[in-house]
Amino acid sequence: MSQTFNLVLLGINHNTAPIEVRERLAIPAGRLADATRTLIHQPGIREGLILSTCNRVELLTVQENADPNSNAELLRFLHEYFSLAPATLTPHLYEYREGEAVRHLFRVASSLDSMVVGEPQILGQVKESYSVAREVGAVASSLDALIQRAFTVAKKVRSETQIGSSSVSIASVAVDLARKIFNTLDGKTVLLVGAGKMSELAARHLMQHGASNILVANRTAERAEKMAAQFNGQVVPFDALYDQAARADIVITSTGAPQKLFGRSHGQHFLHSRRNRPMFFIDIAVPRDVDPRMNEVEGCFVYDIDDLQQVAVANLADRSREAAAAETIVTREVEKYQQRVQSLDAASAIRGLQEHAENLRQAELRRSASKLAGLTAEQQAAVEALTRSLTNKFLHPPMTALREAARDGDAQALAELEALYLGQPRSRNGSKS
Amino acid sequence: MNEHFMSLLWLRVAVLLYGIAALAVLPAALYERPRWRHIAVPATIAALLFHFVSLAEMLNAAHHSLPVDTHETQALLGLLLACAFVIVYWRYRTVSLGIFVLPICFLLCLIPAFRPGQESMPFPQFHTGWIFLHVALLLAAYAALLLSLLASVLYLIQERNLKSKHTRPSAEWLPPLETTDQIALKSLLFGLPCMTAGLFIGSLIAQQTIGPSYFLDPKVLLSFAMWLAYVGMIYIRRHSGLRGRRAIYLSAFVFFVVLAVWSANQFSAVHRFTTP
Repeated sequence: MSQTFNLVLLGINHNTAPIEVRERLAIPAGRLADATRTLIHQPGIREGLILSTCNRVELLTVQENADPNSNAELLRFLHEYFSLAPATLTPHLYEYREGEAVRHLFRVASSLDSMVVGEPQILGQVKESYSVAREVGAVASSLDALIQRAFTVAKKVRSETQIGSSSVSIASVAVDLARKIFNTLDGKTVLLVGAGKMSELAARHLMQHGASNILVANRTAERAEKMAAQFNGQVVPFDALYDQAARADIVITSTGAPQKLFGRSHGQHFLHSRRNRPMFFIDIAVPRDVDPRMNEVEGCFVYDIDDLQQVAVANLADRSREAAAAETIVTREVEKYQQRVQSLDAASAIRGLQEHAENLRQAELRRSASKLAGLTAEQQAAVEALTRSLTNKFLHPPMTALREAARDGDAQALAELEALYLGQPRSRNGSKS
Repeated sequence: MNEHFMSLLWLRVAVLLYGIAALAVLPAALYERPRWRHIAVPATIAALLFHFVSLAEMLNAAHHSLPVDTHETQALLGLLLACAFVIVYWRYRTVSLGIFVLPICFLLCLIPAFRPGQESMPFPQFHTGWIFLHVALLLAAYAALLLSLLASVLYLIQERNLKSKHTRPSAEWLPPLETTDQIALKSLLFGLPCMTAGLFIGSLIAQQTIGPSYFLDPKVLLSFAMWLAYVGMIYIRRHSGLRGRRAIYLSAFVFFVVLAVWSANQFSAVHRFTTP
């Protein structure tokens, strides 16, 4: 991988470090600005950004002169800022430079490096870190362009693959299924049978997606009232369960009853009362509360905990398949990005070459000024045009070679050409090293 | 002649756009690609505009003023189906029905655009807006019924998919049950007044021009049977909330009655007003 602009990324994530280490490095949102400011004040760090989430802490920096064999500044920052002994941290750290750092950033922003591949939060977290880094003046042109590109790549991955389209948690699978039945959950009625923690969680998720009326039925009336109060819902006496259940579009059951609460005939009865409007039964009880044969009733959809789990696992597998397509996009985008950076480098080298040639031409003209003094204005203009034309013709082959080397990402050829024509290679940021 | 040429030209442009929309709707619906949806929907709207202009040109044509032959009524049915697709998209934000509707529109208009009918209307008394309204309203009812049948089929596929509990990515394009149910029922409810008004207008015109003998024609009698079947189907669906498999059987039955009525036009002794 060829060089870009002394980009160094150092970090830990859920794959390299246990929670005990990650939690010691986690930076709360309120302290992120301070940490970024401290990072940027480390010697040799030109630009910097810190990404801190529950699964990763990463330092992305542009350095003055990155030593490929050392990351001393960043390590010092980590040890000092978090008061951690090097031995605690070093075994869990990973380090990427230049092209590999660009790839890693693109993968992180596209949620390809997340614990749950395709989860949407990471992009927001990268944006938040970028915003903080900008506020404290830690981001300038190099990092700014790179991060903006990472956002574009992440968006592209989202729109061109289905990496984030399927749900992978039980609660979100239940919401997805409910949407496939009812389209929207707005105004839908949810009946909780059993006031357990799991049903509470599922109901909360459904309410977040629009379900508005909650009915609670529990053998212990007190617990039913407590949960109904939480959701601003209504208590259904357990004795009246079979009369009232048909009011609900979605029924979540999680009782500890040893026998089935709802059988096939109940389903037929409910559907008849509802004039065949569909009902969705989410049975998260073990042993099950709903007879699986109720699923045979037209309009009744019964999913138990295993069914939901199975859908979640299948969705996760789909995401993995989509991840392969996303990796291809990332690879292509990294190459494009590097070519762009290299082209910029070629532009600065070409400019240097032109300046150098022009200086030589002017110097030669000055040297011969006395000999050319007797020429008429027209003849002097002809000499001027001749020297300019000769210079351009001499410059054409090296300029073409520089452009080609930049386009091919051939950093070595680029450096050799610069050394050959300019005497010494220029640094990546355009100034002479 | 010139109007007829222009009418055909616009219809050909519309056919091309229906074709583009029919292709673009596949990735738009099957793979949820917004970029393709942004091609499919505008292409359909543009096709509708060209098709409408073509229809207006045809109605203004000197040699006849009505979509009288099979090809022209086909094209008008295509226009109404495309309208239905756009309305469904606008109301329910789903392009899934387009997978079936847009290719049907394309095929319905393809032959009229490249092999226009040669039949013309020889009876000057029929050169009125009423007869056009009669044809258009009945075609709108047919289009509504076809849409309802398609929506019911999608309902059944989605229901089976959810019952199987193996939600596959290949089934992600199916609209939610409630959406397809709404489309199916509302299409029928829209089709009923169209069919009623279409038959009523047709009966009044026939009474004035042909007399009571018109009502003894088997095709005409079949049309009234179709209306009764249509009313019966809506009553059953609304009264019992019929959905899924049985709703499809019912819609399919009425659809075949409609097809029979359409085919009967070719054999009817009195319900033919065209000359080859």
